[in-house]
Amino acid sequence: MNKAEIHNTAAAPRFRREPGRRLVRQIARRYDLYLMLLIPVTWYLVFHYGPLYGLQIAFKNFNPGKGILGSSWVGFEHFQRFFDSYYFWRLLWNTLSINLFSLLIAFPVPIMLALLINEIGSKRYSKLLQNVTYIPHFISVVVIVGILTVLLSPSGPVNMLIQALGGTPTRFMESAAWFKTIFISSNIWQNMGWQSIIYIAALSGINPQLYEAAKMDGASRIRRIWHVSLPGIIPVIVILLILDIGQFMNIGFEKILLMQNNLNLESSDVISTFVYTTGILKGEYSYTAAIGLFNSLINLTLLLLVNRFARKTSDTSLW
Amino acid sequence: MRKQRTKTALSLMVIAALAMAGCNSGAGNGNEAAPKATADQSVSKDGFPIVQEPVKLSMFTRIAPVNGPFKDMPVFQDYEKLSNVQVEFTEAPTDGFQEKKNLLFASNELPDVMYRSGITQLEAIRYGSGGQLIPLEDLIRDYAPNFNKLMDEYPEIRAGITTPEGHIYAIPGIVTLSAARTDKKWINQAWLEKLNLKVPETTDELYDVLVAFRDQDPNGNGQKDELPLTARVGLSVVTMMSGSFGLDQQFGYNINLENDKVEIWMGSEQNKEMLMYLSKLYADKLLDQEVFSHTEAQFLAKQGSGKTGMFFDQTNNNFLPISDQYIGIAPPAGPHGDRMQSQTAPIPRDFGAYAITSVNKYPEISMRWVDYFYSDEGSTLLRFGREGEHYELKDGIPYYKEEYSTSETQPKITPYAGGGAPHLISEHVASYINPPQVQEAQKALDPYMPAIRYAAPMFDEATAQKVNMLRNDIDKYYEEQSTKFIAGALSFDKWDEFQATLQKMNVEELQQIYQEAYDKMEK
Repeated sequence: MNKAEIHNTAAAPRFRREPGRRLVRQIARRYDLYLMLLIPVTWYLVFHYGPLYGLQIAFKNFNPGKGILGSSWVGFEHFQRFFDSYYFWRLLWNTLSINLFSLLIAFPVPIMLALLINEIGSKRYSKLLQNVTYIPHFISVVVIVGILTVLLSPSGPVNMLIQALGGTPTRFMESAAWFKTIFISSNIWQNMGWQSIIYIAALSGINPQLYEAAKMDGASRIRRIWHVSLPGIIPVIVILLILDIGQFMNIGFEKILLMQNNLNLESSDVISTFVYTTGILKGEYSYTAAIGLFNSLINLTLLLLVNRFARKTSDTSLW
Repeated sequence: MRKQRTKTALSLMVIAALAMAGCNSGAGNGNEAAPKATADQSVSKDGFPIVQEPVKLSMFTRIAPVNGPFKDMPVFQDYEKLSNVQVEFTEAPTDGFQEKKNLLFASNELPDVMYRSGITQLEAIRYGSGGQLIPLEDLIRDYAPNFNKLMDEYPEIRAGITTPEGHIYAIPGIVTLSAARTDKKWINQAWLEKLNLKVPETTDELYDVLVAFRDQDPNGNGQKDELPLTARVGLSVVTMMSGSFGLDQQFGYNINLENDKVEIWMGSEQNKEMLMYLSKLYADKLLDQEVFSHTEAQFLAKQGSGKTGMFFDQTNNNFLPISDQYIGIAPPAGPHGDRMQSQTAPIPRDFGAYAITSVNKYPEISMRWVDYFYSDEGSTLLRFGREGEHYELKDGIPYYKEEYSTSETQPKITPYAGGGAPHLISEHVASYINPPQVQEAQKALDPYMPAIRYAAPMFDEATAQKVNMLRNDIDKYYEEQSTKFIAGALSFDKWDEFQATLQKMNVEELQQIYQEAYDKMEK
């Protein structure tokens, strides 16, 4: 019995070493490819994993004079302070709701746009439509917010129209009730064209024979979209959905910050802008590192959940 | 792709910056071990040059939109020759300055000196006790005769900048000229005359005057384009009007001081009255509808537009071409007869104007360098440049020459324009900011100035942290809710809720801390 065990443990490493040796041989043979791989790996190590070292300040009272290692430990004090803060629930709700609504409303739009463009017979017209819808993507966020401010100002064109129709002008940019609507709809306008490109590419990969067969069977246009086009791009949709969930808690920091003012703070105050104003502007590094870490943890949890859900239901997942 | 980057940037922004800094600071400190001041670099206690052999200092500074590069300013060119100290400025624009300053400290990549960097009390205590700023009290005693003299003359300076442990981590800009510590209440005299109105003496009269400005076309162009009342962006209009409602601004905060009792008045009935008054002005379109969103440049343009009835500013510099239309008035009396100019800065007006960091190899030289600007002679050089070229003396008082007295040319030759430079502002150097018209406006305010003005107190490190934590929540809440009350986005039915939330945020505790600070000061 004992003997067998010893024998087993002795034998095991030999088996394990085998693939390792093969790997070394492979690397030696294809060293040029691995050299190229070295660049992104280094990039990840230096800029993504290296900084993790600094995460410890979330559990410390960071004092730059003493450095990261020299600062004293305080445990979960900063997390506690955040959870007890008056703004905790508001920040959490705004962060979640803005992203949830974005996902629900904004996610399907590029898919529909792609299906639409795919169905257009005239090549020139569909190219034109594609260009027109994706050009706004290249406008900088600052300019977009500037345009919004002018359009929606009390004396701007939108309010002129409302007044001409007999309504009373609304201060859109300074209203908490309007903030999320404006934010999300302008996002859709700006990004739907760009995001639809991937779906259009996926659609063009569908075998045309499938369409022809469906046509022969008497399927209408709607039926063909439903039974041929959509199933054809489902894997792409799922992957993009998972990727979107991956940054669920972080969408649109710059834009929200630019649109923020005291009058719409009620619905525009989100975790990322709070981290910026408290951490960078007021120098509370430890406190905001804790908040940032909390934010990332929620993100990671969501990503894992959705990925698992996707793997179970549609056989498509990131891993 | 951008989202991906944003995500990374956000969750790791702070941390990344710090980690990088951590790696660098070790190497940086190694270099600091370079030779200490040698014989040639020893500092002379008085007279110029400060050192025989030239030394170099690096300084971090804020540059206002109106300024030109510091190295082209006559004061720094001439002072380098005079003192033998070469200064290399790193200029960061006012926009985003706070961010750059904080990253500098967080990454521990410090310059020799923080010049005109608006170091706050909390920063002075935090970075001072953390060892990044050095204590200056001994240096001031030995190497800053001018500043020392000012401290002896005005005891509130020392009280306002010394920590409970007895350290001074930053020295302030000193303003002995009272007219430079208030914003005047400028009203359009030409419009008043045209509409046969008296200068408003009460808040109700002010309301009627503003209504007349709005409706009766005082600028006579047939259009209703008059802007009755405007102010700097945000809640500065509150600061300007609070004195009429019995609300003072002691300790640089929303604090009333009566019979040795500190009262934070944010939840008080008087504050409710004031906010209701302002919200009435806003709803009736008497108060600028853009007061919560316009930029500083837009506000200044409104001053000079000739379409504005009333606004608040320290000088008449921003509406010089039409300045004869305006006069400065006294604060109007409120519903309970309160009449006070509560917006008044203390004599050490610009806290944290100059601080010396731990990497500075010549702290004595740095102290002597700045001390010159706390004399009338040095301040004249800083504010006016070269005699004959930039200014002329009349009765011993410097006046800008014509070509350097416009709002474009003047800020290019002096680092004081834009505020916050470490120097002395006295009667002697104030011909430009304190012309007769401003003096008159100040005279209107003088009877209503508070008897004593306490600067924000210096706390010990733990208390400062506590105050900071409390105020982060309270101030954010107060600003947001006040804005909403004034703009009508929040009804005054919610006042009880507002009070209750302030209580929940421990405003009592904050009041107690200020009370203790005051008690210590008085002892």
